[in-house]
This record gives sequence, C-alpha cells and structure tokens, in this order.
Amino acid sequence: MSVDQQGLLAQLIRELVRLPGIGQKTAQRLAFHILKTEREEALRLAEAIRAVKEGLAFCRLCRNIAEKELCEFCRDPKRDRTKILVVEEPSTLYAIERTGGFHGLYHVLLGSLSPLEGVGPSDIRAQELVDRLKEGEVQEVILATNPTIEGEATAIYLTKLIKPYGVRVSRIAYGIPVGMDIEYADEVTLIKSIEGRRDL
Amino acid sequence: MSQLKTPAITLKSRKWGEADRIVTFYSLRFGKLRGVARGARRMKSRFGSALEPFIHCDLNLFEKRGDSLYRITQADIQETFPSLREDLALMSGAARMVNLVAAVTAEGDPSPRVFETLLGGLRSLQEGSEPGLTTLLFQIRLLGQTGFRPQTDHCTACGKEFGKSRRVGLARFSPQTGGLVCAPCASRHPDRCLPLSAGSLAFIQQALHVPASVLPRLKATGRVRHDLEAAIESYVTVVAGKRLPPVDFLAPPVSL
Repeated sequence: MSVDQQGLLAQLIRELVRLPGIGQKTAQRLAFHILKTEREEALRLAEAIRAVKEGLAFCRLCRNIAEKELCEFCRDPKRDRTKILVVEEPSTLYAIERTGGFHGLYHVLLGSLSPLEGVGPSDIRAQELVDRLKEGEVQEVILATNPTIEGEATAIYLTKLIKPYGVRVSRIAYGIPVGMDIEYADEVTLIKSIEGRRDL
Repeated sequence: MSQLKTPAITLKSRKWGEADRIVTFYSLRFGKLRGVARGARRMKSRFGSALEPFIHCDLNLFEKRGDSLYRITQADIQETFPSLREDLALMSGAARMVNLVAAVTAEGDPSPRVFETLLGGLRSLQEGSEPGLTTLLFQIRLLGQTGFRPQTDHCTACGKEFGKSRRVGLARFSPQTGGLVCAPCASRHPDRCLPLSAGSLAFIQQALHVPASVLPRLKATGRVRHDLEAAIESYVTVVAGKRLPPVDFLAPPVSL
C-alpha cells in the first residue's frame, strides 16, 4: 500500500525514518500503529518526546544527561571526586553505574574520535575534561572508551592530552568475558588479556 | 543462496540496529563488498575483533540473490596489525589507505593487485615504515591500479606530448585533469595548478612502475616531498569526490 506523499501520515513516516535503525517499512508499520492507537496513548508519546527535549540537557560538568544544571552524580556529595571515569556515551555510564562498583565521577565525551570518518578532537568533549583537571582535585582518570578502533584512538589521544597534568591515567581491562570458553576467544582479545594479566 | 569464502581486509564498519554491524571489506575474490554481521556488537559475539578496521581475515559469506548485502557467517583472523591500533600516526595512515580504497573501487569488481597493494601498505605501516611516506607511496600506487594514474607523458589540457622540444620541467600538475599540464595551458588557469618539481615527477613515475619489493627504497624529502603531498592530496580529493580525513588527522595534541 502506498501512502500519499503529501499527507499527514507520510509526514509522520518521514520523521520516523530519520530515527536510527528504522527503515521505510518499519516506519510505515509504526505510523499505522500510532494511527490506530487511542488518542491519549499517542499524545502521551508526543508529550514524552516534548518533555525530554525541553526538560533535559547535558550536565555542565560531565556532559551526562541532566534535568538540572548538574546531573545526579555530580550533585552527589558522597561520590569520590578524585576519580573520573571517561565514557563515550551516557548509555555506557548507566551500564557501569548498574554494576555498583564505581563511586567516582564521570565524564561523557558524547562521541569518539574516528580517523576513518574524520571525527576530530573538536567534535568530542575532550577540552571540557581538561578544564576539570585544571581544578586540581582529580588524581586519576579511567578511560572506558569502547575497545574499537575509534575507542582506542580516543583513549590514546586523551592519554597524551591528560598526562602533562600529572594525574594517573588508566584504561579499563581487556579480556575474556565471564562465562565464555577461552578457546572461542578471538586473537586480539586473547593477546590483550595475556598482556593485561595480573598477579594473584 | 550460496556460500562463499574469500580473504578480505576490513575497510570500515558501522553500527546497525540493536547489536549488528554493516561491514565494508575489500576482498580478494569479489572486490569491495558489504555484509551484515548479526550480533557483532554483543559481548559474546563469535566475530570478536575480526570485523575491526584494518584486520585481514578469511571471510565466510552467504550471498542472497537480489540483495547487495551479504550475510557474514564467519571471519577467521589472519593478521591483526596491532601497531595500527596503538599509534595515532600509523592509525591515521591506515585510515587513509582504507578510505581511498573504499572511495576509488566499485562493489563486485575484484582486483588482486589492489588487494595485495592494500595488504602491503598495512604491512609496511605495521613494520614501522614512516607513515607519511608509506601512505604517499600507497596512494600513488593505488591510483595507478584503479584507472586514475597521474598522467605524466602528455599535457592533460591540450593533449600534446612532452617530447624533447616541450620541456616537462616547466609543466605543472592539475588535480582537475589528473596530470601534468604544459606551461601555456597552466598559465590560463594558474589557480588550478600546483608546482611539481622534476624530482617529484620522477618519484611519481618510479612509484607507479617499480616492483612492490623496491617501493620501501624510494625516499622523498624537502621540497620534493612537499610538492608531492600537495599534488596527491588535491588529486585524491578530486578522484574521491570529497575531502578525505587528512593523513596526519590525529597528530599528537599540543598540551593546553
């Protein structure tokens, strides 16, 4: 079934197609679903989108998602202010926070360097991290960028940027996922896990 | 549906859907190709690091009739080039190599020479060759193998051959026409032409024609190197139809 290209439904489909992972057919299916749902339910979705865009911003310090000027972690006086854990995206921050094993502060880069796509240092929040180090309270920066070529480029770049400030710079460990058979691990992961071994 | 197997080098990879990746390779048997790797971003994915850029692997694919995307079923690592992940200058050089291959090759048009040139370029970087010069040589070589050889034997504007009577030393390089232009033609569009010394010209000719094993012996410094880098960079931009990230893209930062 083709949809009138000028109509309201086509406009909704065009907007849905812009979302990541949504193709033309999925967008059409979602649009028809929205059309068939109760008016209140559809408007709740629209209101939630509006509220997110108007009510949320990025934390002034760490660039995490925040409802106020500072995010919940930067406002919390119990957090260890001598450690900053650097992540690429807020979603990684919440994955680490779910573990309950880190009690320091965060810094969200909102991206990663990409020599392949031409994403450079000015496209991520690296300078804001350096500004936080200048205040002198931070003793360690933990780089938790993804173990991809982009994440590695970002980690190497940040290390060179941060080292002159005299803070300890560490990288999260590489290794075999818990519960996996070592024989199925790929070569790069195996080498990295042997290089990053630790004493018992 | 048919199952295929080929050696391949990963050019680039991007996230797709919840946990998948769409990966672009340059393969020995099928040239440039794109494939979907289902679940590649999951922690316990069977692909591991095999689909990361610059990795040389043996690729197993399913080809679905009428679909330009292959389905990647297995990737066995052959070479990982670890230095390219640990040094920003080497990484930027390797990125230029794969970006140029992606830009100047068409899907489904295999060229074993292009595959070997890319593999050789990545190996040179891994072995510690100077990244700027290695990348420069690679680019000239690849342009020559993909139908974009810089023309040096005749004027690319008027077509006259550079015989003994026409001094090639006065010629300039035009990125738009892809080669040398004689002095009278260059004078009509001086803003579109770049200087190219006799030494730079000799370097290009040698880079295009010497056996691959001799390439590491070619050197360029000073003005020759400067002219070459400017000319090839401009020409690559014209050929690729866009400005690729520069070779020194991730040069070490200046402390603030």
